[in-house]
Amino acid sequence: MPSKNYNQKMDHNQGIPLEDDYFLVEPEIALLEDKVLESETTIQGITQIISKKKKRTIDADVLIIGAGISGMQAALDTADKGYKVVIIDKTSTIGGSMVKLDKTFPTNDCSICTAAPKMVELSRHPNIELITYAEINKLEGKKGEFKAQIWKKSKYVDPDKCTGCDDCTEVCPVDVVSDFDEKISTRKAIYIEFPQAVPIAYTIDHKNCTGCGACDRVCEPKAISFLEKSEEIEVEVGAVIVATGFEVLEPSELRKEYGYGKYENVLTAMQLERILSSFGPTAGKVLRPSDYKKPNTIGWIQCVGSRSLQEGFPYCSRVCCMYATKEASIIKESNPEIDINIYYMDIRAYGKDFQQYYDHAKELGIKYIRGRPSNVYENNDKSLTVKYRDTLHGKINEDKIDMLILSTSIIPAKDNKKIAKILGIEADENGFFLQKSLLDNPIQSTKDGIYLAGCIQGPKDIPDSVSMASGAAAKAVGPIKDRKRNIGRNFPPEMNVSHEKPSIGVFICHCGKNIASYVDVEKVTQETKKLPNVDYVEHVMFACSEDTCKKIRDTITILPDKKLNRIVVAACSPRTHGGLFQDTLQEAGLNKYLFEMANIRNHCSWVHSDDKDKATKKAIDLVRAAVAKVSLLEPLSEEEFSIIPSVLVIGGGISGIKSALALADMGIKSYLIEKETKLGGRLKHLYSMFPSDTKSKEIIDPLIRQVNKNKLIQVMTEAELADIDGFIGNYKGTIQHKGKKKKIEFGTIIVATGFKEIDLEGQYHYGDNKNILTQTEIEENIKKDTLKKKPKNVVIVNCAGAMDEKRPYCCRIGCGVSIKNAKLISQKFPGSKIWILYRDMRVFGKEEEEYYSDVLKNYHITTVRYPGEKKPKVILDKNNPKDGLMNVKVYDDILEEELEIPADLIVLTVNTEGEILTDSLKNMLKIPADEGGFFLEAHAKIRPLDFATDGIYLCGAAHYPKNIVDTIAQAEGAASRAAIPIMQGKMKGEGQVAEVDEELCSGCSTCEGICPYNAIEVKPKSDNKDHFIAIVNRALCKGCGACVGACPSGAIEQKGFKTKQLRVMLEALLRNEEKYA
Amino acid sequence: MHKKIPKNKEISKIIFKKGELVKEVEEISGENLFGCYQCGTCSSGCPYIDDMDLTPDEVIRYIILDRKEVLNSKTLWLCSACFTCAERCPRDINITKIMEALRQIILRRKIDYSNTRKTTKKEREKIPQIAFVSLFRKNIG
Repeated sequence: MPSKNYNQKMDHNQGIPLEDDYFLVEPEIALLEDKVLESETTIQGITQIISKKKKRTIDADVLIIGAGISGMQAALDTADKGYKVVIIDKTSTIGGSMVKLDKTFPTNDCSICTAAPKMVELSRHPNIELITYAEINKLEGKKGEFKAQIWKKSKYVDPDKCTGCDDCTEVCPVDVVSDFDEKISTRKAIYIEFPQAVPIAYTIDHKNCTGCGACDRVCEPKAISFLEKSEEIEVEVGAVIVATGFEVLEPSELRKEYGYGKYENVLTAMQLERILSSFGPTAGKVLRPSDYKKPNTIGWIQCVGSRSLQEGFPYCSRVCCMYATKEASIIKESNPEIDINIYYMDIRAYGKDFQQYYDHAKELGIKYIRGRPSNVYENNDKSLTVKYRDTLHGKINEDKIDMLILSTSIIPAKDNKKIAKILGIEADENGFFLQKSLLDNPIQSTKDGIYLAGCIQGPKDIPDSVSMASGAAAKAVGPIKDRKRNIGRNFPPEMNVSHEKPSIGVFICHCGKNIASYVDVEKVTQETKKLPNVDYVEHVMFACSEDTCKKIRDTITILPDKKLNRIVVAACSPRTHGGLFQDTLQEAGLNKYLFEMANIRNHCSWVHSDDKDKATKKAIDLVRAAVAKVSLLEPLSEEEFSIIPSVLVIGGGISGIKSALALADMGIKSYLIEKETKLGGRLKHLYSMFPSDTKSKEIIDPLIRQVNKNKLIQVMTEAELADIDGFIGNYKGTIQHKGKKKKIEFGTIIVATGFKEIDLEGQYHYGDNKNILTQTEIEENIKKDTLKKKPKNVVIVNCAGAMDEKRPYCCRIGCGVSIKNAKLISQKFPGSKIWILYRDMRVFGKEEEEYYSDVLKNYHITTVRYPGEKKPKVILDKNNPKDGLMNVKVYDDILEEELEIPADLIVLTVNTEGEILTDSLKNMLKIPADEGGFFLEAHAKIRPLDFATDGIYLCGAAHYPKNIVDTIAQAEGAASRAAIPIMQGKMKGEGQVAEVDEELCSGCSTCEGICPYNAIEVKPKSDNKDHFIAIVNRALCKGCGACVGACPSGAIEQKGFKTKQLRVMLEALLRNEEKYA
Repeated sequence: MHKKIPKNKEISKIIFKKGELVKEVEEISGENLFGCYQCGTCSSGCPYIDDMDLTPDEVIRYIILDRKEVLNSKTLWLCSACFTCAERCPRDINITKIMEALRQIILRRKIDYSNTRKTTKKEREKIPQIAFVSLFRKNIG
């Protein structure tokens, strides 16, 4: 999407003005009354107390409680649509649990690097009012007219004045156990949670502060005020989104047999994340707490407190298998000598690319041991002895390990029950918030107008949380959709600097330790100072932090004698952080294209981490090249275009239906096209849903009726997209509808084409015997009641065609479906013996694990675990192969012997792949798909619903097979994403577009054919009809440069990458080559 | 591997129809064996594990698979009913009760080789009292 353009300037990092003293906290008044009456400030304070002002009221549209990744996504999605959002967080910063993590699976992306831009974007958004260190006290009213009382605790530091210099913490004498670092380090009583915190202002922890005043004395900007009061703020909104997140179990009481709290080297996985984090207590080094030495062996125990009917919680925590794999892989990759054992029951690598990630970890040499230790002993050298039964080798073993990590269960935040009471919504016995209807409306809480996002209704990984947060944003728009919207932001008028001599400012980033450990930043700074036109150079801890951005603004606008007119930031990738700095330039009134980034993190510190000298030299080179280029850059303008206010939804299954309905609730028109004769997709063929046993038709039929009734949704069945032209906001499509071609126009597209079962190609004798069915077929039979003969022995084979060489992925839903269908068969034919052959039982998350355990117990189902390399074999009866009794030979992993099970019904849980439409859509819409035919999202973690191409969004099983709860959350989330451009009404194109020199162009059409975005058309010149020239559509052009390279006459130049601009870069780089040769 | 458990003639004579063994164990113990995930927690915490021919989780697996040779196993008699397994089982299965059920299946068919009266005085002096208490308990149920 083009960079945002907001109407109104509002600096949200300033927090809330400290103006009110209506509420008093005892220690403060005591301080005032007793001793310090004489001082000037005290008298001021008392006057303030006496003049009781009115409570501050904020009039907004949506209130969001909790500013973790879910809360932030919901806030941005709502605010981007033009509604005013108030977001509160009980801690002094935003970011929640995600920023505590080191990396994220399965892409190993740095967690803070993906979250920080969102944090900064949120704090700078003109429609978002951020209140940190605040809690909700009361909520009155109903949907559309809520009134909330927010208690904003005093931070005792004026965020306007605080520069984040850290002088105060050096003098503070009080050490407090750090909650942010999961209790493995200390912070001071005046503190900031982490370097990239937003807002970047210190907080005095009232409970632990001794009031010694040391910080006050050293604070140069005089930001500390002990007289500041907490205040109550009234917020009036139409909808509330709850995103208060999760905590992890501290197994000091439950599951204390693993020695947590007793033995020093036993840690929770969250504590390990802090150890691995570059801004954690060991700065990313793997050290064990007892002696700060590198451990030789590390062990993980899975399911500590999860999947436990006693001494824990009954549900599966859903993410532990993958985060343990991630932590182990990261450690193993950088320390191959460390031995790593993971003790598990089932490895639940269920998601997109998860199985491949797990396979990779095994290749790295991480040992996965199936067996759950019973307890742990500490040895004299503080190492730990873990005794376990290796259930796959039938041996009792003892391992001595130096550091033990407990993958403890995810539990609801402790005050969830309190919040539930305040909000008037219901929580389950564990404290997770309940949905109104799990399978039907998973985002809706039990009270109208209050919506749920993220882990508060059950454990979830980041992409699922983000999808759900977007979904919550779509739902929250419903009650307020007719309110006045405020789009965009007015930057100050642009200064005309074209006549000025280049004056360049360079900011070099440490990225904490990410860059500074591998590149001598100081040296780069010194070398950069010598370059021509460079008037200002500084190295900063985090270039993306708000205080650096402020510094950049200041150097452009208020640096006294020499105002800068070009900026270079040497940090990470412009892909992730370029937009942020460009906004900063615009805020200072400078054209955003007078900016260049040198990627010294990815290109220097990452790829040359073993050679600091050379990495530093390369960094100097890259900065020199960037400086050379930026001197020649020119201010550019962007093409503005309008958006057609309707959406094309491709696919009429549950995803498409829910998307269209969510759009209609926001007041947006949509076309819903379905290739079959009826809406409903796969749900039409299924009987009941996992894990609640709701009948499929009870879910889908009412939804189909709603869609057909809704005037904003135009349904077309037996319809396919035949042709498409255009770009975000302005698509023209041809729909092949019941044999007729129909032309429609729309602004955005949602792809919801779903999935299908793969062709087994005769594996397991599928097709040879009529009693071998797939899960879909058995369910259709149950639905139509066509299974007449009672089977004596039913064998269900999971992972048919999955996790093998051809299709290395896990289908995510198969295990759940197999359990549900086992139950259905048992109910239909009581007394039938049912066997489930499985590899790992992947029934993840809340509800599913409980369902699995209940079915096993209630229907006496026997499970057999088989290894991936020894697939079960189906043996047909020689005399009656088509209908006779069969035998299944399966190697039981746990008994270590081959079992032969007679079967008169075999059900295959077949792997899945993308729908047949995938191929044609891939080409028509120019969107990528993976080998399984599932579409590839823009970013696996934080942009699960977007394509890299603007204006096209993704949801449901077209992304990856998923259960109905996740599907609906995604569908509503995709609706929210697709609604953003439409509700904004206008968008801006790229500034760095191709430009044709009409004199040089021969009209040869080479570029026209090569342009991947159909942005070039060859037309006769306006003043000379005989002369054909190429014309670039500036709204469509993405600035890829393909035409520039292809033009035989050298007639096309790309703005921002002109030949002369690139030539000086090369010269700058080559000059260095001579010097060091 | 199919473990070789020395067969006892009398115990081998006990006849079960298909599925009857599980049924009887469940009836006596009141535990649902099919809830077992075969995670091995019970075995790893068992103080007698080194002397057992079948580990406690194998015992459960054998019962589920209808293998009545499980009744020949030493494991049932080595179990000292310390309840460590029952305490730590994530599935809340009381394995101690299952062991007791297996012993009862044998004892209720009047198969009992312990005879305290026949122990000599010398043996009585050597054998710790707790062993006798334990033996009586197993016989009483």
